[in-house]
Amino acid sequence: MYIGTLILYACLFLTLYFEVFLLLSFLERRPGVKNARAPRHYPSVAMIVPCYNEERTVAGTIESLLALEYPAEKLSILVVNDGSSDTTGAIARGYAARDPRIVYIEKENGGKYTALNVGIAHTQADIVGCLDADSFVAPDALLEAVKVFEDPTVMAITPAMKVSKPHSMLEVMQAVEYTFGIFLKKMFDNLAAINVLPGPFSLYRREVFERIGPFRHAYNTEDMEIAFRMHRHGLKIANAHTAIVYTTVPCTIPSLLRQRTRWSRGFLENSRDYYYMYFNPRYGHFGVLVLPVALVAFFAGLYSAGFMLYKAVGYVATRVTDALATGIPPHLPAAHLDWYYLNTGMLTFLIITVLSMTLVAILLGSRIAATRLTLKSFFAYFAFFGLLAPLWLARALFGAVLATQRVWR
Amino acid sequence: MNWQRYIIAFVITGAIFATAFYIANRLDAARVADIQSTQTAISIDILSTETQFELLGSLDCEAISQGQTLSSELSDLASRLSVAEQNLGINNTQVVSLKKQYSLLEIKDYLLMRQISARCRNFQPVYVLYFYSNSGDCPQCTQEGEVLTYLRTTYPDLRVYAFDYNLDLPALKTLIALRRVDDTLPAIVVQNRAVVYGLKDLSAMQKLIPELKTLATTTPEVH
Repeated sequence: MYIGTLILYACLFLTLYFEVFLLLSFLERRPGVKNARAPRHYPSVAMIVPCYNEERTVAGTIESLLALEYPAEKLSILVVNDGSSDTTGAIARGYAARDPRIVYIEKENGGKYTALNVGIAHTQADIVGCLDADSFVAPDALLEAVKVFEDPTVMAITPAMKVSKPHSMLEVMQAVEYTFGIFLKKMFDNLAAINVLPGPFSLYRREVFERIGPFRHAYNTEDMEIAFRMHRHGLKIANAHTAIVYTTVPCTIPSLLRQRTRWSRGFLENSRDYYYMYFNPRYGHFGVLVLPVALVAFFAGLYSAGFMLYKAVGYVATRVTDALATGIPPHLPAAHLDWYYLNTGMLTFLIITVLSMTLVAILLGSRIAATRLTLKSFFAYFAFFGLLAPLWLARALFGAVLATQRVWR
Repeated sequence: MNWQRYIIAFVITGAIFATAFYIANRLDAARVADIQSTQTAISIDILSTETQFELLGSLDCEAISQGQTLSSELSDLASRLSVAEQNLGINNTQVVSLKKQYSLLEIKDYLLMRQISARCRNFQPVYVLYFYSNSGDCPQCTQEGEVLTYLRTTYPDLRVYAFDYNLDLPALKTLIALRRVDDTLPAIVVQNRAVVYGLKDLSAMQKLIPELKTLATTTPEVH
């Protein structure tokens, strides 16, 4: 067996191992169903909305916050305009003039993390939340999140993220990916190993920032870095899978590549800064399982794509060379309906198993957050995600190694 | 830290790998059995034709020639053997054994076909002996194989007998010696003519086998 194929088997083993581990975790502790119980108490909550040129979506974001089912006197909304050059400021100012819950803050452009920190400095609320200005919360999302904070050890919460109104092939592909993400987040919660507090609707106890400091630039992935830092300080992050937030996703391939390159590169660079957490039992499953698997998966994804590309190019080149040498006119290969001619090698069975377990994880994610997925979305995910992901992985690695300039969007 | 879960996940993953390995091997074994069964059927067919030929002599050429459907069966067997080679490897002892049996069947069919054609004027098949090697010393053999497969598909009555030149089989060695085929592969013998060496593309093969014009094709005739 070639060394290239052996490495592919190793990648498959790791993928299967991780999926089995997560499914075991699911069987051990299944996510609870949503209930109508009201929170025992209502802590004061400040929702920070950092904005930079978000005139298309900021109104919807603010409207969704205003529609939250939460006592008005306990909720404040801090819209931080990070030096937008469009009409974002005017829109937000208009809302602030109409509703006393909204505070409008304007500052020079300094990046999302600076906008968040300005917002944190302007509030004394018990709970500080962030909501990207392209995301929209479900009316009961805050109630559901606050119930999870009833556990005094929980220091921060991530929501269940869904794609807002997916239509195009690229959007429905991401809808499946986000549903898979819902499953992953819940299982990471079971393992106390959540690896990122995403911009759309992550909530923190105020003391988190007092204990570990404010957001950092962190290679434009401040939401990932703060999760790393919280694990370092032993602060618990939980997942509120019944707190639903809808987010706008990139609708073109270049914008998707830019976003994912930023995320992937941020992971590599934050991993370098927090290298000591890798394989360190002191940080629990986060250090021993989640971080190492994520890093190996990064390179395994690149390797598998390279291997497949090498095989595909080799096959096409051989076919073309053979056609030129033999003079045989183009024709379809003979179709055999007999089972005998099916590819029934070990690799085939393993790939089918990995894909099946991925499908199970997506379906569980769909059940956890009551998401409806169409056949089109499954087709888009299984047909295109594997083709696109290696592109941003390669770009991220290239950028991290050569330390090229980082691009937010 | 719950290390037990790590161990259980490892054991389950290992079990999945072992199951995949087991299923793949069982299916490969089923393929070998499939080839053996086909070879048995073909050897019975050959024996039957030989017996029929000996019983009737040249008295009933019509009946004998109508029973000559072995060529397509051997062709199907060849493609099955090729799949087994890909899955199990060319040096697998079962594959080598099956290949030897297959080569013997080919030689027997070739000899019988020649005997019948010598006595029966209405049975004059067009045949090609093709000698190849898949030991890595014949880069053009795969391409020549494709040309012959294409011809065989286009002209179902063309009889192609393919032999692995390096197969350790006394009957094959004798055939190679009789036809004076040296190891400059690929080597092709058309009908009873001299051996030709090297890659012959489609048009070259069509020139080498002018009898192809007399054979029916699988493509519709153009008027």
